[in-house]
Amino acid sequence: MTGPHVEKFIVPIGPQHPALKEPAHFEFTVDGETVTSASVRFGYVHRGLEKGAENRNWAQALYLLERVCGICSHAHSTVYSLGVERLAGVTAPPRAQAIRQILLELERIHSHMLWVGVAAHEAGFDTLFMYSWRDRETVMDILESFTGNRVNYSANVLGGVKYDLGPAQADSILSGLDYLEKRLHYYMKVVNNDESFLGRTRGVGTMTTEEAENLGAIGPVVRASGVSRDLRVDAPYLLYADFPINVITATAGDLQARFVVRIQELFESTRNIRALVEHLPEGELAVRFPRKVRAGETVSRIEAPRGGLFYFIKSDGGENPFRVKVRTPSLRNFMSVIVGAVGHQLADIPMILSGIDPCFSCNDRTVIVRREGRDGSAAPSESDSRKDSSS
Amino acid sequence: MSMDISPLLKMLVFPGGLTLIALGLLYEYIDRKLVARFQNRVGPRVLQPLADTIKLLAKEEVIPAGVIPLFFVSLPIIAMAGALTAGLYIPLAGFAPSFSLPGDLIITVFLLGLLTICIGLAGANTADRFSLLGATRTLTQLFSYEAPFLLALLCPAILADSWQISIVDTSVTGHVWLALPLFIGFFVAVIGLMGKLELAPFDAPEAESEIVAGALTEYSGRGLALFRLGKDVELVIGITLVSAFYLGGLSNPLEFLLKTLGLLVVVAALQALFARLRIDQVVGLWWRIGALLALLQLLIVVILKGVIL
Repeated sequence: MTGPHVEKFIVPIGPQHPALKEPAHFEFTVDGETVTSASVRFGYVHRGLEKGAENRNWAQALYLLERVCGICSHAHSTVYSLGVERLAGVTAPPRAQAIRQILLELERIHSHMLWVGVAAHEAGFDTLFMYSWRDRETVMDILESFTGNRVNYSANVLGGVKYDLGPAQADSILSGLDYLEKRLHYYMKVVNNDESFLGRTRGVGTMTTEEAENLGAIGPVVRASGVSRDLRVDAPYLLYADFPINVITATAGDLQARFVVRIQELFESTRNIRALVEHLPEGELAVRFPRKVRAGETVSRIEAPRGGLFYFIKSDGGENPFRVKVRTPSLRNFMSVIVGAVGHQLADIPMILSGIDPCFSCNDRTVIVRREGRDGSAAPSESDSRKDSSS
Repeated sequence: MSMDISPLLKMLVFPGGLTLIALGLLYEYIDRKLVARFQNRVGPRVLQPLADTIKLLAKEEVIPAGVIPLFFVSLPIIAMAGALTAGLYIPLAGFAPSFSLPGDLIITVFLLGLLTICIGLAGANTADRFSLLGATRTLTQLFSYEAPFLLALLCPAILADSWQISIVDTSVTGHVWLALPLFIGFFVAVIGLMGKLELAPFDAPEAESEIVAGALTEYSGRGLALFRLGKDVELVIGITLVSAFYLGGLSNPLEFLLKTLGLLVVVAALQALFARLRIDQVVGLWWRIGALLALLQLLIVVILKGVIL
């Protein structure tokens, strides 16, 4: 401590830090071990994907946008396909829709199980981390045998899907799900009963229903705070109207509730996949899709593993998208970290941060806000020009 | 002029020096391997700790800006020296300690604490924020487990009427294992040992997901190698002490291996079993439960001794 003022002790976390698997920068001001304020900055992995999509034709952009996120890649390609198909007035055949939905739910299983491991690791509970990732390999194997890839499945084409689900694969999916369900029951027991783990999750990062609404949280985070918000039910797409899921909510709003909500959601997913596999509609896998999409604009939304995924797609009638705007769910949950961190122990911060299942690379979009200067000229200042609100 | 080289041998080869370091590396390997197997991982190979150490020793030691270089360089050496010196007072490999004097139990525990203090000072010496936080946590943890751990070790010492390790060791040999009647003391000693070694779940001082590597974040090369070796040595000494006191004494190498390795399995299992405790939870646990249990055990021992003897 030098100088007359008491200096603020700021703990920088990121862009390189063992707790972060992706780059972002957090600054936590601490008083001893207690966090007194927090701030966040993104923009380290801006890849120019939106602009890239404008320079590709409709089909090529599908493969680009599938790479927005490495974990929920199928969600991105599905939400884009659904939007573009709506613009073009094309509907994918029922069998394709069912396969898309199966993949979406399988992806949710792999994403949530990955999260269970990461969150356990942040709590210093590496045993749970290792076990859950070992069991996650089951769903990864299913996805690989289905599509040939563990991630970025490239299963969608505009107007349908590429891969059919044969009886042999259906069997392997069902037997894999049996094993996963057994393991998930076990993890449910661990997160509900392990005293040392409860010591790190119960009452940590608590967000009341009101706060969750005010902060605009989304996905399992808001569902754990007692808000029933799930696009699969609120605005059903694909076959969710015929094969519905139950929205899982919890009231506690703390980390433990988020564990419970996410694991219970997986039971819903396995139930949903079983129903779809057993009642798979017959028919074509894809319909013909035009080269040019008629002019118009649309908003496409689906429930990705982390929450509502939002795409705005605009066509000027050409071969390329005129504009694709991506808003990933993590972005809406970051405020809950910044607000929720204050007053907690520094040791809880990695847990609170991982509690929203953040995906930093997905967030990074650039928007340049030009504010008119006093003299009328467009003079962007430092803070204006680099608004990393990732719009 | 003739010179007796046996003290030199004792210090450099056995039991001090090389033997202690080799055992430390071996026990680190066993510990890591066991934890890995409990967690369904493959784990390191036998020579991995040695390879790590050699690699670190060969690397450049970067002295960061803002530190006092003398402290930065000398603290690892002092820590290592403290740990190695402590090895001279314990019945390593089941042999009588090389040096023995009344009250050497206190000396040994202090020398082990010296390592932790050095780590704390090393963290406080650097300007790095993770190091500072890690140093605070290291020293906070030191103050919480040290007293209960010492009290737990004092129970057998009081029964043996001596604070000399070798006498306690011989007095408990041949009797029923003290871990059975004094199970509270044994429990506190084992948990205290884990706290001392900053093993999971007491690894808040070096919680990588929060403060990178804690107090040693800025250390690389030789300094880091020495601190790590010091911790390995501390592991051997701590386990030897606890098994000598509570597991019926160590009178030959075979007994030493069986008892210490058995204790190591328990310690490794405990590491895999729990989530990391926050530093406030650690302090709360020790002062609210650990210290009381240790005092209770001490009280029982003193009363029993007064009644029976």
